[in-house]
Amino acid sequence: MSQRFAIQTEGLGRVYQLKRKRGETAPKTLVALEGVDSEVKQGELFGLLGPNGAGKTTLIKILTTLLLPTSGRALVDGIDIVQDPQEVRRRINMVSGGETCGYGLLTVEENLWMFTQFYGLTDRVARERINEMLEVVGLSDRRKTKSHFLSTGMKQKMNFARGFLNDPQILFLDEPTLGLDVQTSRVLRDFVKRWVRERPGKTLLLTTHYMAEADELCDRVAIIDKGKILACDTPANLKRRLQRASIFKLQTTPLEMSNRFSDLPGVSKFIEHQRNGHTELNFILENENVLVKILDAVQAGGGHLLSLEKREPTLEDVFIDLVGRGFGDEETPLEVEK
Amino acid sequence: MKNFRRDLNIFLRTVRGRSYPRLIGMQREKSWIFFDTFLPLLATTAYVFIYRALNAPPEFTGFVVLGGAMTAYWLNVLWSMATQLYWEKETGNLSLYLIAPTSRMAILLGMALGGMAATTLRAVTVLLLGSLLFDVTFSVENWGALLLVFVLTLVALYGLGMIFASLFLLWGREAWHLAQLFQEPVFLISGFYFPVRNLGFWVSIGASIIPITFGLDAMRQLLYPQAQWGFLDVNIEIAVLALLSVLFLVLAHRMLLWMETLARREGRLTVRGQ
Amino acid sequence: MSTESIKMNNWHESARSFRVATWLGWQIESNWTEPFLFMIYAIARPVASALILVFMYMVIAQGGMGHPLFAYIYLGNAFYIYVASVMIGISWTVTDDREHYGILKYIYAAPIQVYFYLLGRGVAKTLTATVAVVITLAFGMLVLRIPYDFLAMNHALFWATFFLGLGALALMGILLAGVALITARHSGFIGEAVAGALYLFCGAVFPLDVLPQPLQYIGLSLPLTYWLEGLRRAVLRESISPLLAPISNEIILVILLGATLVLGLASLGFYRWCEHRAKEKGLIDMQTMY
Repeated sequence: MSQRFAIQTEGLGRVYQLKRKRGETAPKTLVALEGVDSEVKQGELFGLLGPNGAGKTTLIKILTTLLLPTSGRALVDGIDIVQDPQEVRRRINMVSGGETCGYGLLTVEENLWMFTQFYGLTDRVARERINEMLEVVGLSDRRKTKSHFLSTGMKQKMNFARGFLNDPQILFLDEPTLGLDVQTSRVLRDFVKRWVRERPGKTLLLTTHYMAEADELCDRVAIIDKGKILACDTPANLKRRLQRASIFKLQTTPLEMSNRFSDLPGVSKFIEHQRNGHTELNFILENENVLVKILDAVQAGGGHLLSLEKREPTLEDVFIDLVGRGFGDEETPLEVEK
Repeated sequence: MKNFRRDLNIFLRTVRGRSYPRLIGMQREKSWIFFDTFLPLLATTAYVFIYRALNAPPEFTGFVVLGGAMTAYWLNVLWSMATQLYWEKETGNLSLYLIAPTSRMAILLGMALGGMAATTLRAVTVLLLGSLLFDVTFSVENWGALLLVFVLTLVALYGLGMIFASLFLLWGREAWHLAQLFQEPVFLISGFYFPVRNLGFWVSIGASIIPITFGLDAMRQLLYPQAQWGFLDVNIEIAVLALLSVLFLVLAHRMLLWMETLARREGRLTVRGQ
Repeated sequence: MSTESIKMNNWHESARSFRVATWLGWQIESNWTEPFLFMIYAIARPVASALILVFMYMVIAQGGMGHPLFAYIYLGNAFYIYVASVMIGISWTVTDDREHYGILKYIYAAPIQVYFYLLGRGVAKTLTATVAVVITLAFGMLVLRIPYDFLAMNHALFWATFFLGLGALALMGILLAGVALITARHSGFIGEAVAGALYLFCGAVFPLDVLPQPLQYIGLSLPLTYWLEGLRRAVLRESISPLLAPISNEIILVILLGATLVLGLASLGFYRWCEHRAKEKGLIDMQTMY
């Protein structure tokens, strides 16, 4: 670990000891992270992409000193998170989407001011940063509103603003746009991009399960599933993995026994969803010619084609290609590995 | 030196920052005056009438009034400081406190000082109105010693509160119930409503681990120099309180660090609904 | 839908609300530890509070436990354990559900009869209080040698008074739940603060006669005073209070019943008003911790 990275992990792992139920003798454990090696450069906007329960939040908790790893090590701005957590805290901040902060009886402004004090900011600097951030999140006109009168989205915006108040070197955003409306999400994403670009040396680690968000924002993305990082590269390079593949989405009348597609030569991956009275099939094919066989198979299965769409590869396709299932298909993939 | 100034700056600002919600909250939600000041005065009054029903000597009214006033600080330590970390954890603020480069003691001190205004108002109300209503007269000969006992008691008491608070980093409802357990039983063994020496030597010595035991006993001796209800000599009690003050603050500092590490290891800092 | 079926539906909803709330209250109260430890925690506090009184008495009476006054105040004090427990059990539900678990808004959005929900949530604390009362009384009889004879007591008077009093306490709990709906969460429990204050007025630990006359009037207007008086008469077979002694057992029961009914009307009405106010001002899901 000689080169100084903003974030660097080596074989990082976290295993939770679960409570044993009555009568159980063997200790129960849950592996949340396993052998995570990663390097995030200074000034980078790095994305961590994975479904719910993939280990994203566990990784963030470890890096923000809230949780100790059970194996491996992690450096944040070159500082060991186990050896010197306090020094790490001087350089970071974190925002978790869907969460609020502060106290309901305080106004937006007062809540934010309170948090600036924990970082030792002078009142003048605190006021400037609060004004700036309230402007960014569009809460300037609500600064004097007690936070228990804010809507859920507004509370989230206030929490988002809080994360930037100490002007951290490294900021961790854990699903920052979770539950926010499209317009607000767009504003926050734009700000995040600007924040990293306009302030040299600032690093941002973003976890998300929104593909488009990761694709749009991140310089590099790590795809994580079941506690392991499966791939890490720029979004373009990740998608390039599927450059030679053809990706199709088909909608058909309800089909049964769709596993027959797995036997077809040239089908790399496919995922099936039953939606509103029709079947949706997503394919990653070795080449377009395979499509004819698929259509034959649909017909043979008694189905009728409702729509057919050829798509450019997305990060979700990359995830499907790597993991063999979609984001929403947590544990029971319908696809068949070939 | 630079680091020390930086850390001191953050410490003081944290105390100020965390005391602010308490002070503002008290102004914005004044119902606490009724529940936390007026009703406790009535509760203390009940104990006065018990002694009246038993035809107790008049100084016992003073003992009860003082004990009733000091309950405010004990309850403040239990419910506004120690258990507060449990609530902060449940509402998601705790993790935000912990990722900040500030001292946990500063956060707890901020809570304590912010709540001190309400606590002191309750204590003073009980003491003043109790004294006026029941014609209690104290004959203080050594104000300096009285003030010293009071301050040492509070320092040791809040140090103890910080030790309790450290448990809350690790525990959930267990600690909440522990705080409940420490209410009436401590009123009993610390002699809030009767001189502690009636519990016998060893129980009183054991109870002295709670600073308010010797604090109350010493204050009663200083307020009623003629009464013969004291447990140990006031000077000894002051020395013990001074010792406890230092011990508890040092212990609290270590416990907070230790418990935080333990909670990080076990993944309990961010677990809610424990 | 016919009136009959609406009534049936309400009854089912009430029963379901009570049942679910009782189960939930018990889980919250007890599932944080092993049953043995839970009982220690549940009992230690009320028993300690009874012992405070014992020591206060011992300090002054120098061990004269055989005095009728001691039996009188010990009994009142033991049953007073219910007061804080029932009132906290019910009123804290509002604050806890709103600010801790964040489910109060969902309770209000569900087809639940809120009074029955609140009562159900109070059951767990009432049960643990019952164990504490029994232990306190057993301690008094076995260790302090207080000559209570529960076999020879006036059973009819005791049980009628006992259940009426518990009803009155539950109604006071609902009244305080209303207060909790429109006030912030402070550091203490409202139920506990009110129980502490009522300790003064209802003659729990000293005869009402000791109080100045204006305070006696307050005591005489509280159902708790008649509850404790009825229980004492049933167990001790006499009244030690010159103020209450002239009132017959039957009249004590009638007054308790009347006062409970009045309290019931007042507390249900007050709760409705608080509920309306909370909805009007958007307080159902407020977060007020500071």
